Amino acid sequence: MGASFSRRDSLYRLVNSQAFVALLFLAAPVLLLAALKIYPVFYNLYLSFTRYELFEPPRFVGMKNYNYVFNNSVTRQSIINTLLFTIEAVPIGTALALVIAKLLDQSIRGRVFLRTLYYLPVVSSVVVSAMIWRWIYSPQHGLLNYFLGAVGIPPQNWLNDPNLALISLVIVTIWGSIGSNMVIFLAGLQDIPRDVIEAARVDGANPLQNFLLITVPLMRPVILFVVVTFTIGIFRNFGLIFMLTQGGPFNRTNTMVWEVYQNVFGYLRLGRGAAISVVMLVIVLILTLISFRVLRERQGA
Amino acid sequence: MKQQSSHPGTFSHWEARIPLLLTYVILIAGAFVMIMPFAWMVSTSIKPDREIFGDSIQWLPSELDMQNYTDAFEQTNMPRLFANTVLVTAVAVASQVLLGSMAGYVFARLHFRGKMLLFFALLTTMMVPFEVLIIPVFLLIRFFPLAGGNDLFGQGGTGLINTLGGVMFPNFVSVFGVFLFRQFYLGFPKEIEEAAIVDGCSRVGVYWRILIPNSKPVMGTMALFAFLWSWNDFLWPLVVVKEDSLKTIQLGLSVFDQEQGTAWAELMAASVMAVVPVILLYIFLQRFLVSGGLTSGLKG
Repeated sequence: MGASFSRRDSLYRLVNSQAFVALLFLAAPVLLLAALKIYPVFYNLYLSFTRYELFEPPRFVGMKNYNYVFNNSVTRQSIINTLLFTIEAVPIGTALALVIAKLLDQSIRGRVFLRTLYYLPVVSSVVVSAMIWRWIYSPQHGLLNYFLGAVGIPPQNWLNDPNLALISLVIVTIWGSIGSNMVIFLAGLQDIPRDVIEAARVDGANPLQNFLLITVPLMRPVILFVVVTFTIGIFRNFGLIFMLTQGGPFNRTNTMVWEVYQNVFGYLRLGRGAAISVVMLVIVLILTLISFRVLRERQGA
Repeated sequence: MKQQSSHPGTFSHWEARIPLLLTYVILIAGAFVMIMPFAWMVSTSIKPDREIFGDSIQWLPSELDMQNYTDAFEQTNMPRLFANTVLVTAVAVASQVLLGSMAGYVFARLHFRGKMLLFFALLTTMMVPFEVLIIPVFLLIRFFPLAGGNDLFGQGGTGLINTLGGVMFPNFVSVFGVFLFRQFYLGFPKEIEEAAIVDGCSRVGVYWRILIPNSKPVMGTMALFAFLWSWNDFLWPLVVVKEDSLKTIQLGLSVFDQEQGTAWAELMAASVMAVVPVILLYIFLQRFLVSGGLTSGLKG
C-alpha cells in the first residue's frame, strides 16, 4: 500500500514537473513552427543553389540561379519595380496616415466611427479590394473615368497602360494600408508628452508649426517603424498583382513576389524562385532589424 | 471641456487649437474616399445592367434588384465556397487560440533549460514572411508522408495538395499568437495560481481552470486576427487547391472574374457576400482589436 502510494506520488511529481508540462504543451506548436518556419528557411536556401523542376531530385548548380536573378532583364526589372512601388507608395501613404491619425487624436464627435471607416479597407480581403478597384479602373463605365470625364480628361486604360499600371496599384495599396498605419500612429501619439506641445502652443506655435516641428520629430521612431513595416507589406503584396495586372503590361508591375510565383508555379523553376525569395528575405530581414533597433531606441528614450 | 475631462490622459491637449471645421472637412473628405469603393460595390451589386452600363453615372439604383445576388450565388457555387471557408477558418481559429495559449502559458510561467533560447528562436521566425517560404512549404505539403497516395518518404502521390487539410496546415499555429498570449499571461497576477498550487492543483489544472477562463480578451483578439488571416487568405489556397469543390471564397471570387468576363454586377454581389461576414465580425470585436491587440503588441 505504502509503496504503491509513493510510486504514484512520484509519478505525479514527474508528470506535474515544469519540464514535463512544458514538453507536453510545447510539442505541437514547436514542431509545427519548426516544420513551417525554421526548416523552410534553410531548405529554401539550399534549393536556391540547385536546379529543381519537381519531378527529378534537385541538382546542385552553385551560384547559377543568383547570376540569373541579377543578370536576367525580367528578374532585374522585378527588383527595380519592387523598389519603385515602395518609393511611390510609402512616403505618401505614411504621411497621409500620420495626418489622419493626428486629426483623429482629438476629442471630437464621431471619432470612433471615423476611425472604423478608415480601417475598413484593412479588414476587407485583397481579392475583394482588387475586384472593387478593377471595376473602378474599368476603361468602359469605370467610376474613375466617369470622374475624369466630368473635368474634361479623356478616359484612361488604367491597368493596361504601361505608364499608369504601377501607379494604379500604388493607389489601391495606399488606400488599403492607411487604416493599419493610422492605428500604429494613434498608439504612438498617446506617448507624446503633452506639456511639450502645450508649451509650444503657449509660445505662439500654430497647429501646423506644432505638428511639423514638435509632433513629427517626436514621432520619428514610430514613423520609421511604419515605413519599414509598410515596405515589407509591399514586398509581400501578391494578391493585388495577381488580380489586377498579372505583372503586366510589359512587366511594368512585375515585382519580386510575382516573379517568385511565376518561376515556381508558371515555369516550374523552383531553384530560380528560391533564389529570388532568398534575396527578398535578406532585404526583409535587414528592414526588420532596422525597425527593431528603432523600437528599442524608442523604448529606451 | 466637459468631454475632455471625461477622458483624462487620452488625448493630446492641443486639440482645441486645430480649427474644428478644418478637422471635420479633412476627415470626412478622407473617409469619403475610403468608403467610396465599398459604396460603389454595393450600389453596383443591386443595380440592373442597364443602369450599370448607362451613358451617365447612376449613383443609386432606381429599384432594388437582388437578381445579381441570386445569379452570383448560383454561378460560383457559393454554399460550397462558404462551407469550405468556414471550415478552414474555424480550424485555424480554434487551433491558433489553443496552441497559442498553451505555448504562451509555458513561456510566461514555467522554467526549463533553454527556454529563452527557444522563445527567441520562435520570435525570430516572426520576421520571415510566409510569401518568402512558399516554395519549401509547398514542397512539404506536396511530399507529405502517407497522404494523398504518398509513401512514408512522401513519394508516389500528391500529398496534401488539393485537400482542405493542405489549406489548413500552415495556419495551425501563429508565432504572433504565442507572443500575444505570453504577454497577456505575464501581466496576469501570479498569486492566484500560487494559491491554487498550494491547494494541490496541478500545473495543467492551473492552465485549464484559472488561466483559460480568464483569457477572454486575448482570446478574442487572437480569434479575430486568425479569422481575418484565414478568411482573407489568397496565395496559399491558390497554390494548394486546384479543384472547384475545394475552393475557398477568395479563390472562388478570383476565378469568377475570369470566367464571366465583365459580369460586374454579379461580381460585386459576390464580393459583398465575401466581405460582409468579415466587416460584421470586425465591428463586433473592434474594441478587442484596438485596445487588446495592436497597442499592447506595439508597446510590449
